[in-house]
Parts: sequence; structure tokens; C-alpha cells
Amino acid sequence: MTAVEANISRSMPTRVWRRIARYLTLELFLGIVSIGTIAVLWEFANPLGIPVLSNLPPLSEIVRTSQQLLTSDLYWDGWLLSIRRITSGFLLAQLIGVPIGLLMALHRASFEAAFPIVEILRPIPPVAWIPISILFWPTRELSVIFIVFLGAFWIVLLNTIGGASNVDPNYRRAALSLGSTPRDMFWRIILPATIPSIVTGMAVGMGIAWEMVVAAEMVAGRTGLGYLLWQSLEINAIAQCIICMISIGIAGFLSSEIIRLFGSFVAPWQRMH
Amino acid sequence: MNGAVAAGALSIRHAGKVYDPEGLNVVALDGVSFDIRSAEFCVVVGPSGCGKTTLLNSIAGFDQLTFGEIYLDGAVLARPNKPPLPGADRIVVFQQGALFPWKTVLWNVSCGPIQQGKANRAAAERQARNLLSRVGLKGIENQYPGSLSGGTKRRVEIVRALMNEPKILLLDEPFRALDALTKSVVQEFLLELYDEIPKTIFFITHDIEEAIFLGDRVVVMTTRPGRVLRTIDVGIDRPRDYRVLTSERFLKLEREVRESIHDEARKAFEAGERELA
Repeated sequence: MTAVEANISRSMPTRVWRRIARYLTLELFLGIVSIGTIAVLWEFANPLGIPVLSNLPPLSEIVRTSQQLLTSDLYWDGWLLSIRRITSGFLLAQLIGVPIGLLMALHRASFEAAFPIVEILRPIPPVAWIPISILFWPTRELSVIFIVFLGAFWIVLLNTIGGASNVDPNYRRAALSLGSTPRDMFWRIILPATIPSIVTGMAVGMGIAWEMVVAAEMVAGRTGLGYLLWQSLEINAIAQCIICMISIGIAGFLSSEIIRLFGSFVAPWQRMH
Repeated sequence: MNGAVAAGALSIRHAGKVYDPEGLNVVALDGVSFDIRSAEFCVVVGPSGCGKTTLLNSIAGFDQLTFGEIYLDGAVLARPNKPPLPGADRIVVFQQGALFPWKTVLWNVSCGPIQQGKANRAAAERQARNLLSRVGLKGIENQYPGSLSGGTKRRVEIVRALMNEPKILLLDEPFRALDALTKSVVQEFLLELYDEIPKTIFFITHDIEEAIFLGDRVVVMTTRPGRVLRTIDVGIDRPRDYRVLTSERFLKLEREVRESIHDEARKAFEAGERELA
């Protein structure tokens, strides 16, 4: 190793770290500035005469009155219950949607049999299922989970069908030449080739699942963030309303991050893209 | 067959293929006959739509013939009533590439012998590492194909094919998507590999220079319906390198092939215009 090379290899990590640090600092700085600006505008909306925002109580008042909510069990149970409903409904949608999607993509007769049903049921918005699911399911809890399930189910089903039926035929041919059995073909070719589409379906499905849990809790729930949000209107508690909205935003954001992490775990070959 | 005879002799006898989309009866191949000797590098050139790929697919076992037969070492490989069956004795390197993007280079290269039950994982991986380093591809074993350049992907795919010790290697315009410089590097890679591990090779291209540079024999096909127009013995000594490209013999052959293919290319073009009109 020459002196120059030694010098480069020593300073390399430092340089990389410095770049990352600079990038993060800038990102953080801009993030704080934009959130801070909104906070300031909100706080002084009334004296500044900003339309819409000035109809709200100032931010400091919201923070003061939200103390009680943020320390209550009601609020944190709301988080927990909503997350539990999301998890159950969403996982159920994957567990049922992915195998049905694969079957429909790989088995012609199943596709022909199931497709008309899918095409008639799919355009019905999941919220339109709320009344019948309240009538049908024995508990409100199951009704809400069912609505969440429906929200995530169609998109994961369609993405799985799309992914599995668009596998490059040359992958199949190459695998056949290389001696793949039908079993290998499914587990080593079709399934991995479909995973990126499934993950995309999950990301979109997770977004819809949060929409659905809030809507279903508003109508059919007695607990959860969506229910608290609706209740805040009835008791005229604007702080609670805003806190619940922001909470749902944060929960949705965290869920997307989890899906992204899961995606890079099950499809590591796509990490560089 | 006598075991002492080197394997991989291909014989194509009156091969014909008629596609019947909506009763149009498109004749893709019309009575194609030629032989490829064991360990011969045979290049098929012809205009687009001359049935080159149809012929390759029939050999590979992806497609069924309508007429004629194809034999490999005396055994029937393809004939009209025989369902097509791919096999590890005939590996294809595809135009767009078919390395499995979800698996590492090492897995891709070693999967053939493992799936055919010819070797266990450890042995196959050892063999794959050896072959990769022998051809100058050491150090990329644990990378995914997506992170490799186009030229390296092509080389890895050729190595994956060779791992199966095929009797015949089928290459379907494998270097078409590469830029000119990368292409010449990968062509030389293939030539070196061929000198070291002689195999029967069936190579499709419509690049005349590539055909003569690589092949022992160039089979020129006509436009649809695909027939053999003529075969040309290249007769340039191996090992070859880029200097061959400017030799007198090379230029003479290139002119010869170009002249015979030009009329066909024009016919194909005009037929295409008619189809569009």
C-alpha cells in the first residue's frame, strides 16, 4: 500500500461520515424550520389575521389542554387498539390475499371462476361494507377488523395476480433448462419474482388500512383513535381532535416505514434501486 | 452412439414451423436442413423474422416443430408430435438475459447441478467459485445480478450455462443490448472460453462482423419463410483476437455475407412495410 493509498483508506470513512452528518444536519434543520414556521404561524394566527388558522385556538392552548388527554389511559389504549385492529386486518389480508392471488395467476380455471366476483365486489368502497359487517359479525371489534381487512385485501390480491402473471417467461425457460421441478419453479422462481409486487401492494394497502380503521371506529367503534377523534367533535374538544389527527398521521408514517423495512428484508436484491 | 465420439453433434432435417394466429398460417421455417459438428461454433445470421429464434427454441425444447426433425447425437430432440422438453444438455443464453435477479451470482451459477441432483450445494459452489475465478470473475460471487454491468451479467450467464456441461450451447443474440466496446470485450471472452472448453455452439445474431469473428461456419438464412440461403466456412485460425477484424480474409468474407444478406434484409423490410400498410 502506498502512502497515498493509506491516506485515502484512512480518511475514507471519516469523509463518508462527514457527508452523512452534513446531509442529516441539513435535513433535520430544514425539517425543524418548516415545522417551526407552521407552529409560529399557528400560535400567532389571530393577531396576524391569517384566515382559517385564526379560527383555531392558539397552539399553546392546545398543548396546555392536551396534557390531560396525553396522560390518560383512554388515549394510549386508543393507540393500542387501533394498532391491534390494523395488524389483525392487514395480516389477514396478506394471509388470504397472497395465496388466492397466486392461485388465480397460476391456475387458469381459478382465475376465470374468481375474476368476475372480484370485479363486482372490488369497486364497493370498504366503508359501504360497514352496515352489513355490523349486522353480520358478532362483535364490533370483528366488524372493524373486517373493514380494515377489506381495505388492504383488494390491492394485495390485484398486485399478487399482476406480479405472478407477469414473470418474465425467460426466467421460467431458463429454470426448466437448468432442471427445475414444478416445486422449484414455484418456490424459487414465481414466488421471488412476485415479492416486489406484493410489497408494493402492502405499502398501498397499509395506507388504505389506516383510512378504514379510522372510518370504521368512527361508525362502529367504542374505542381507538378514530373513535376518540369522532368523540372529540361531540364533546367539542378541539385539542383532542387535533391530537388524534396528528397521532393517526404519525401512526400511518410509522406503518409505512415498517413496510419499507420489511420490503428490504424480503427483497434484498432490490435495495440498490 | 459410440462413447468415444465427442458429444454435441446436431442435425437439423427439413425443420419447418407454421404459426397459426387467427388462421393466417405464417410460415416461420421452411425446410431448414444443416448439421453442426461436435464442438463446432456455428453462427446463424439472417434478417429479423427469419425464424432463427424459432429454430433455437425448437432445439432448446421451448417450441414444437410443424415439420421435420432435429437430432442431437443421433437421438430425436424435436419432431412434430413430440412435446417440447427443455434439458440441461442444451442451455440457452437469452437476448435480454435471464439471470435470476433475486439470487446471488454464486447461487445463479451453482443452481443447475444442484437442481439436477448432479452435485450437492458445497460441491457445486466450490465448482462455481473455481470456474468464476478461472474466467476472471472472482469477487462478485455474493453480489446480486442487478448490481453488475451488462457485460459482466452476460459473462456470468455463459458461466452458468457451462456449469451444466451442456452438449450444446444456444446463444440468442446474447450481446445485442451491449455497447460496442463492451461487446468486443465479451466476444473475446467467449472466444477464449471456447478455445479452452470447446463446445458445440449455436449462436444467433444479425451482426455480420460478430458472426464471422466468432464462428467456424456462418449459416445465412432468408427472410420469412426462413430457409438456408447459404453456408460459409470462415476458415480463420484460432485463437482469434481483434486483429482478425482487419485481415484480408475477414473483410472478403464480410463483403460476401453482406451481399447475400442485403437482398434478404430489403425483402424483409418491404414485407414489413406491406404488413403495416
